[in-house]
Amino acid sequence: MTLETDLAPEHGAELVLTPASPAVRGLRLWSLYSCAVLITGIVSALFADLLWRTGWSFSRTILLVLFVLLLFFAAIGFMHAVYGFVLRRIDDLQAPPPIQRDDTIADTANTAVVFPIYNEDVRRVYEGVRITYNSLKSTGQGGRFDFFILSDSTDPEKWIEEEKEWHNLIQKTGLDSRIYYRRRVENEGKKSGNIREFLDAWGQRYRYFIVFDADSIMHGRTMVNLVNLMETHPAIGLIQTVPGVFNARSLFGRMQQFANRFYTPMFIRGLDYWSQGFANYWGHNAIIRTETFMKFCALPQLPGRKPFGGYILSHDFVESALLLRENSQVWLAWQLDGSYEEAPPDMIENAQRDRRWCQGNLQHTMVLGARGLQGISRLHLIQGIFGYLASPLWLLFLLTFYWMWLFKRFIGLSQITVHSWMGSLELGPAEHAFLVFVLCMGVLLVPRVLAVVDAFFDKERRRAFGGMAHILVGTIVETAFSTLHAPLQMLWHTRFVVTILRGGTIDWGSQTRAADGTSWRYAIRHQWWQCAVGLVWGGLILWLMPATFIWFVPLFLGMVLAVPLSVLTSRASWGDIARDFGLFLTPEETSPPPELVALQARLAVAEQEDLGRRPVSFLAQSVVDPYLNAIHVSLLREARLNPASAEALERLAPREIDARRLAEKLLARGFEALEPRERMIVLSDADAMAWLHRQLWLHPESGMAPSWRAAIASYSD
Amino acid sequence: MDGSFESTLRERFGAASSGAAPGMMAGRTLEEWNVAYTRVERYFHALQLRNKVVLGQLVLHVLQRAMERAPAQLQVSATELAVQEMDRIIIKWFAEILGSAPAARGLLATRGRLALLLADMPGQWQDQFLVPGPWPEEFVQAMRQAYLRAGPEFQLTRMSPRPLDLGGMAVFVNLSQTGRFKGILYSTWVVFTLLLILLFVVLHRL
Repeated sequence: MTLETDLAPEHGAELVLTPASPAVRGLRLWSLYSCAVLITGIVSALFADLLWRTGWSFSRTILLVLFVLLLFFAAIGFMHAVYGFVLRRIDDLQAPPPIQRDDTIADTANTAVVFPIYNEDVRRVYEGVRITYNSLKSTGQGGRFDFFILSDSTDPEKWIEEEKEWHNLIQKTGLDSRIYYRRRVENEGKKSGNIREFLDAWGQRYRYFIVFDADSIMHGRTMVNLVNLMETHPAIGLIQTVPGVFNARSLFGRMQQFANRFYTPMFIRGLDYWSQGFANYWGHNAIIRTETFMKFCALPQLPGRKPFGGYILSHDFVESALLLRENSQVWLAWQLDGSYEEAPPDMIENAQRDRRWCQGNLQHTMVLGARGLQGISRLHLIQGIFGYLASPLWLLFLLTFYWMWLFKRFIGLSQITVHSWMGSLELGPAEHAFLVFVLCMGVLLVPRVLAVVDAFFDKERRRAFGGMAHILVGTIVETAFSTLHAPLQMLWHTRFVVTILRGGTIDWGSQTRAADGTSWRYAIRHQWWQCAVGLVWGGLILWLMPATFIWFVPLFLGMVLAVPLSVLTSRASWGDIARDFGLFLTPEETSPPPELVALQARLAVAEQEDLGRRPVSFLAQSVVDPYLNAIHVSLLREARLNPASAEALERLAPREIDARRLAEKLLARGFEALEPRERMIVLSDADAMAWLHRQLWLHPESGMAPSWRAAIASYSD
Repeated sequence: MDGSFESTLRERFGAASSGAAPGMMAGRTLEEWNVAYTRVERYFHALQLRNKVVLGQLVLHVLQRAMERAPAQLQVSATELAVQEMDRIIIKWFAEILGSAPAARGLLATRGRLALLLADMPGQWQDQFLVPGPWPEEFVQAMRQAYLRAGPEFQLTRMSPRPLDLGGMAVFVNLSQTGRFKGILYSTWVVFTLLLILLFVVLHRL
């Protein structure tokens, strides 16, 4: 039984999210983690024995400690996959998993659907909102939902474009569509602050709110199911769906998408088996009980300076921990499909996202010891932190290993090996090392094999991923790519951790995209150092340890090829070729839901429209265009009705700053003449913007800045 | 040119052009009026008036009014005269159709433009724009009820963070914020380094 077939509304019993008893849940948790400890113990003992055979030293102690740590966290992942695999196979033999079937929502279950956005691709965001809105409307339950686009955009061009596209959107969906737009003046507290300001203004109107990411979309039926699940389970504070990655075109994106859709369901089943109402929140594609959230999840600022002090960046883990602290349940609804998100299209964007997550997760060390948190919350936090700390530890492990090797080589002493503790194994040192290697590889690779076996026994799943042959080839190629990508991730994450701990930042600059993905120049600028590390590393191994060179090829080959790998896998054309060969297919590609088909069609149309369109400055349009100016001014006036916005506007432009004087300067010399903050002051002043529009059209062209003349000239036949 | 159009032109510009020197209208050159025409036309384009007949009539109407004022304001350019007239005509019309007092012109201009957009003047009512009343009731209602709602009614509250005792970490952070912390940290490292050196020396002397 696959997740896809779980959705058929004619099958299955009602979905009931009742947690297992504490004893059963404890037993499950204990058994899964005990198995991980057992695996770590056995393999670590073998490794320790191997080290012991050539004589103990301080560096060997370090190596062993690092090995145990790294292997333990890998073994946890392995056990999740094993449990997930077994559970999915058992499900297949038994009745179909439960689903939620109720399609009507109580009148009182008002729900807000919120899209926090920050300098995003505006067209993409609004198409996602539109698709989700239409899907919800088709369920007949749209009247219970209000949509909010909550902008935190700081780029004035994006701000005006968002307003323009919002108006276009409500014109298409109907002025009574209840799709609202609000932009914050200050983006204090980032995403969590954005949500909090929304709740402060409107939270009390809604019993629930569903949080989306900028690129999320969701089936209307899934949203209705989520609301009904909350209605029937008052002890639940939050239900997190498992968003499937979709809409990838680049080769990198398609491999990530395949990995997400093919392997993740197994891990998620394993996770749900023990978390049972004590799950985690991933920040989006989740429904939240508003009152509970407002009561318990206002995040405090952490003491101290950055990177650990200040606003909590990765707020989601902490918010779920706070809900659990107050005995409000958090569930992972793997049974519901129809929840989607997009993934970064290339390695560098993937690393940029990791950079943000890395800082947020490292900051969780501050919260880890907070009194009153559930043990399981601490477990979630530790796993998040270790997800990023693993990289520097892995690098340290490798460096320690090379240090030992070089030390042995340069002191010139011959190596005398002693017998293994485990004499009955009767292994020579080389066989012993090989056994440890095979076991480690098993821990890392068996989950992939289990995913293939799972598909082998599941006809629907096989078909959804393009057939067994394509699954096999796809898994092999994706594994090979992951092998090359992993050392790059190690270097990147290590750099992030070190930079963050030093309190520094990484300047990514602006992406200079080629027509089809990452440009060579951009990739060289950001990845040359990985290439250099790979060349030096590989060269040293070849020079000093030629006999072992072949074993380390996967490690430094990825580094040496960092730039071409990054550029070529970012190509949509390569992704298209893979698709033509039937590689990395996902259920959303083999039988696409109508929402995704509609989204792709609309984005294709928008792309075509953009090709023939003159580039426009939305800033200039906000002054020149009579309608856009009216929309902007009207929104500014409405924003003043909210005391929080009014206060923020006062802070932005204190009385001593004369917006009219800035507007006069703008009129005479164009937007280029103003500092970024001055632009924001003028753009945020309704009277100044209305005045500017009138003056611009009343003004003779001779005294105008060239940009204004061009803007006015654009309104010709 | 047929007779009726000729008479329309004479009617519109007769007063302005009568007695004017060749190449001049209402005390301005033809080129100046041409520039004024373009500017007014562009504003109507910006309002998405696409019907050429309606557009032409409105531009001529505005220019006629400007030419009437022109002889009395020789220091003002034809373009300025035209756009000032256009502004007056539009505001007056907004006040009439929206049933508002023209005094608050700043608010009225914005509200009027927004109403034109929301009532879909460019799509359905181009022939009614700037035309004296009475207008079709549907158009009047659409204009008067047009309102851009960026959000429902506020129900204001304030989420306040509950205390979060960070445990030992808070103690450490508080300590690290004291001025003495760095001193203690550096001293510890110096002492540790000295101990290592001492150990090295002692071991090599023994």
